[in-house]
Amino acid sequence: MILETNDVSVGFGGDAVLEGISVGVEPGEVLTVVGPSGTGKTTLLRLLATFRRPGSGSVVWDGGDVWSLSRDERLSIRRQLSMVFQEPSLFNAPVHRNVTYGTRVRQSWSERLRDELGNFVGESQLSDSAQSALETVGLTDRIEQNALSLSGGEAQRVAFARALAIDPAVMLLDEPTSNLDPRNTAVLEEAILRARNRGVGVVVATHDMNQAERVSDRVGFIYGGELVETGPPKRIFESPADPRTEKFVAGELLYEGNDLAAEQTDSPIGPDRG
Amino acid sequence: MLVPLVQFQDGGWTYVISIILVSLQGSVAAVTLSTLFSLPIALLLGFGEFRGKSVVTSIINTGMGFPSVVVGLVVLMLLSNSGPFGDLGLAFTPEAMIASQFVLATPVIMSVSLSAVEAVGQPVRDAAYAMGGTKVDVGLVVIKEARFGIITAVLAGFGRAISEVGSILIVGGNIVFSDGESYTRTLTTAITVEARQGRYEVGLVLGVILLALVLVVNGLGSWIRSKGRGERSS
Repeated sequence: MILETNDVSVGFGGDAVLEGISVGVEPGEVLTVVGPSGTGKTTLLRLLATFRRPGSGSVVWDGGDVWSLSRDERLSIRRQLSMVFQEPSLFNAPVHRNVTYGTRVRQSWSERLRDELGNFVGESQLSDSAQSALETVGLTDRIEQNALSLSGGEAQRVAFARALAIDPAVMLLDEPTSNLDPRNTAVLEEAILRARNRGVGVVVATHDMNQAERVSDRVGFIYGGELVETGPPKRIFESPADPRTEKFVAGELLYEGNDLAAEQTDSPIGPDRG
Repeated sequence: MLVPLVQFQDGGWTYVISIILVSLQGSVAAVTLSTLFSLPIALLLGFGEFRGKSVVTSIINTGMGFPSVVVGLVVLMLLSNSGPFGDLGLAFTPEAMIASQFVLATPVIMSVSLSAVEAVGQPVRDAAYAMGGTKVDVGLVVIKEARFGIITAVLAGFGRAISEVGSILIVGGNIVFSDGESYTRTLTTAITVEARQGRYEVGLVLGVILLALVLVVNGLGSWIRSKGRGERSS
């Protein structure tokens, strides 16, 4: 496994949000975490993204516990990961500036200053990886357009391209298509599979079982903060081993609320007032 | 055609140009210093969650209503010969005026920037962080996203500084050299002198110049903001 959690638990206000979860992703594999809304999927993704520290257990990158490393070492791991959220959260700038953001923060300050000045005088260059990421989501014709003027589906595709353009080892996608129409969903699912074929390990959190069936190599069903079972999508959806999975597959478990409070307060960079 | 009809005091246009320069230099210096001081604090307040934050925010907002003569009085007390900074010899100098304009512009710039920074949603900050940004990178993204609000803050601060009368009259002393060149006389304080002497038409001309300056600066701000809106819809 390139990235995994090892018996992690997270609590919030005395309630367990995640309990004893061990799950990981291999390079070139799509792992889908399915489960009802509010069951701990987002918290799990944020743990994998090293946004927050687990209450107990460890998050392991390439065999080493990330929280036993120095801040700089953790940053270098974080820079091999990228994350896409349910909302595209693009910057008020042209599409190309959004897609190259990840590359730019990895440059030295002098390179960044030169790049900003170049952009100011209208001489910005799209790197090969940014170009290829935009091709993957089929938006090379929107490079100069302001990202905030895109439709919701296009914006999410740009958000995916922004995450792909850094050539990540692992991509973490939190409900990436839950607000999208079928066409944009299909484009994004295709892009997920292309990234996987390039060797990227992908973790997708979704409540959409059909999507999980279409894109996954492996599915983990999470319920009540507990990883109930993992396995190939066919096995999970056609012959679930646990009665809770069976109920979810039958459409009987739709919502569970113990994840919401923690998700609203676990940002690494400040509270939500947005 | 109004100008030839009025008679400026000794020094003529030298006098007028020098008071325009003193006004502009003081206001630009005060607003620049205040922006450099206010922006990091607005970011810290916008990002951080700590005890007493709402008290700090209330104090900043209250600062927008500081009576300028009181600020002038306090600054003069601090800078006067018997004050703690008396050795610097800054009383009745352009620097003293910059200090009081700084005190008056800072709450305005800080408060409006803070609103702009807080309006940048957590998802955008998370996105910058998730793309491998450090906290400094996230701060830079927030400044960039809030840039139009920050421009508004700077313009509001400039408006406060250049239209200031009470405090700069106290700390600057409204001094003009014998050759008619201004030392600490600004457009606003010159207007008070003209009004007191009953030379209303001269005061009006100076008022029009002051308004024109404010108009040009705000026009520039509006142009930058409209450029930003154009970006969104292009």
